[in-house]
Amino acid sequence: MDRIKHHPVLGEIKEGKVVAFTYNGQKLEGLEGEPIATALRVAGVMVHRYTNKKHEPRGVFCAIGRCTDCVMVVDGKPNIRTCITPLEEGMVVETQYGATTKEAQV
Amino acid sequence: MMKRYDLVVIGAGPAGLSAAIEAAKNGLHPVVFDENAKPGGQLFKQIHKFFGSKEHKAKIRGFRIGDELLEEAKQYGVEVVLNATVIGLYQEKEVTVRVKDEVLHVKGDSILVATGASENMVTFPGWTLPGVIGAGAAQTMMNLHHIKPGNKVLMLGTGNVGLVVSYQLLQAGCEVVALVDAAPRIGGYGVHAAKVARCGVPYYLSHTIVKAEGKECVEGVTIAEVGPDWKKVAGSEKHFDVDTICLAVGLSPMSQLLKQAGCEMEDTKGGYVPKCDVKGNTSIPGIFAAGDVSGIEEASSAMIEGRISGAVISNYLGYLEEDKMDARIKELEQALSSLRKGMFAPENRGKLVTKTEEDLDVSMNLLEKGYVAEDEIERYPGVTHLVGIHPVMECTQNIPCNPCQDACPKGCISIGDNITSLPVVKTDTACIGCGMCVASCSGQAIFLVNEESEPGFGTVTLPYEFYPLPKVGDLGIAMGRDGKEVCKAEVVDMKTSKAFDQTNLLTIKVPTKMTTKARFFTAIKKEA
Repeated sequence: MDRIKHHPVLGEIKEGKVVAFTYNGQKLEGLEGEPIATALRVAGVMVHRYTNKKHEPRGVFCAIGRCTDCVMVVDGKPNIRTCITPLEEGMVVETQYGATTKEAQV
Repeated sequence: MMKRYDLVVIGAGPAGLSAAIEAAKNGLHPVVFDENAKPGGQLFKQIHKFFGSKEHKAKIRGFRIGDELLEEAKQYGVEVVLNATVIGLYQEKEVTVRVKDEVLHVKGDSILVATGASENMVTFPGWTLPGVIGAGAAQTMMNLHHIKPGNKVLMLGTGNVGLVVSYQLLQAGCEVVALVDAAPRIGGYGVHAAKVARCGVPYYLSHTIVKAEGKECVEGVTIAEVGPDWKKVAGSEKHFDVDTICLAVGLSPMSQLLKQAGCEMEDTKGGYVPKCDVKGNTSIPGIFAAGDVSGIEEASSAMIEGRISGAVISNYLGYLEEDKMDARIKELEQALSSLRKGMFAPENRGKLVTKTEEDLDVSMNLLEKGYVAEDEIERYPGVTHLVGIHPVMECTQNIPCNPCQDACPKGCISIGDNITSLPVVKTDTACIGCGMCVASCSGQAIFLVNEESEPGFGTVTLPYEFYPLPKVGDLGIAMGRDGKEVCKAEVVDMKTSKAFDQTNLLTIKVPTKMTTKARFFTAIKKEA
C-alpha cells in the first residue's frame, strides 16, 4: 500500500529516516520508529503468520496491539506484536508459523 | 517497596487525562499508567471536527484537543507512565503494572479506571483473512502512520465510526466501494452520512457480508440483503473487488480490571460495565470509573466524566470541600447532559425518531440512503432562497451542536439556547459571504449559495477537505447530494485560511437551477 504524502488535514507528511531490515531474508526498507507492520504493508506484505493447526494466513486486524493477530518472529523472538513494535535498523523479521519460524510438515 | 499515590489513573485517554488534570488542579499528585507508547488514547487519530458547543471544544479537530490535554497535563505536573500495562487491580486499591519485563506493585488511595473500549468484531466466512481490519485500525494506519490501509475498501457498519472512517478513507485517497449495514437505517449522524454520499459512495442498508474472498488475503467480498427475519434473501448477492474490509460494528467497554477488583457489574446497552453512580463511584469505595469503560459514548463526554471523577476524588481524599465539589459537578453535569440530548440521545438508541423537535418530518431518505432527497430538503429552517449570497444549512436532525451560530459575524444564524435545535437562517440580516459558518460546521452541512450571480448562473461555496485543492479556472463535475453528476461546473474561488482549520471553501459556478442541487465537486482528471 502507498504512503500518504499529502493529506488534506494533516498537511505535508515529513518522512523519517530510512532504515534497512530483512523480511524472510529479503532486504526491505522502512522508516525508523514506525511500526514494523507499517513498513511491511508499504512493501505489500499482508500475511504476518500462519496458524498452527489449519495453516491459515493472518495479518493486522486491530493495529493497536490488542488482538495479537499480527505477531511475527522479530530478531529471533516469536510473538512480537508488529503493529506496535517500532522498526529499527537491521531488524530481522520473519513469518511466524504457530510459534516458530518453521513451517509445520503436514 | 510498594510506591503509594493519591490517585492511580489507568488509561491516559480523554477520560483518564481529564480526571488527572482536575485532581492535580486540586493539589493531588496523580499517576497515569498507559499501555501505549504515546498518551491521548484514540484522540490523536480523530482528525475530524468535534460536535457540541464551545464548552465541549466543538469545531476543534480531535487531535488538537489531544494536544491541548497533554499541554494541560504537563502544566499541572501530571505524571504519565507510558508502555505500562496494568495487569491487576485488587480490592485494596493495589495495582500491578508491567513495565518492560518488570512487574511493579503500587498502591493508590484512590483508583480511577479509564481503560476505554475495544472494537467489536463480526464473523463471516473469510473474516480472519489479512485485509479484514477494524475501522479503528484503518484510522491508526492513515492518521497516525500515514499509510493507506488499502486501495479499495468496503465498510461494514454505518454508526458514526463507520461513517467518519469512510470519509477519512476518502481523504487519504482510498476508494470506498460501499457502506453496508444489516440494520434498515443508518445508525450515525445524517450529516456524516451525507458527506460520504455526495462523494458517490453507495449505501447498502439491510445488507450483510456473506463472505470475504481470497486465498492469502482479501481479494473481494460478497454481500447480500437480509430480510426482516435477519435471513439472507436468496439471489440478492452482490460482489465487489476489494483489498480491504473494514469492520465498524460497535465498541465494548474494557472493564476487565473492574470485574477483577470485585466491583459489581451489569449488562447494559452500553456494554458490560461497572455499576456506577453519576459521580463515577463503583461499588468499592475509592475505585472510580469514567469514560467508555463505564458505557460507550463520545470522547467529548468522556472528558467531562473524567473531570467529574477528578472533582469527586479530590473531595474523597479531602482536597476539595463538599460545596466546591458540588458546584463544580453541577457545572460539568450541565455540559454533559446537553451532549446527551437530541435524536441520538442514549434513550433513543435503537428507536426510530420520525419527527424533529420542531415537529418536522425527519428525512427518511437520509436514514435509508445517506442523503436528504430533493423533495425533503425544503422543509428545514436552514434552507432558504434569498436574493444574493446566503447560507443554506442542510442540518436536518436534532444533534447537540451549535458552533455555526457563533461563527457568523453578522448574526445570520440562530439556534437559540437549546443546543439541539435546527439552525434557522435569519432573513433580516445580510450575509457577507465570509464562509465562517461553512468552515465551522463539523458536519460539513453548510453551503453558501447565490442563486443568480450573473444572468443564468449562480455560485455554490462548499466545504472541501481533499487533496489536491482545485484551482480557480478548473473545470469539473458538480455532484448532487446523492453523489451523481448534476452538471458541469467551473471553480471560481478557492479560499483557505487558518481560521477555517483545513476546511477549504471551494466556490463553483453552475447554472442557476442547479444551485439548489450541486453539493460537491470533482475535477476532470487531466490526461497524464
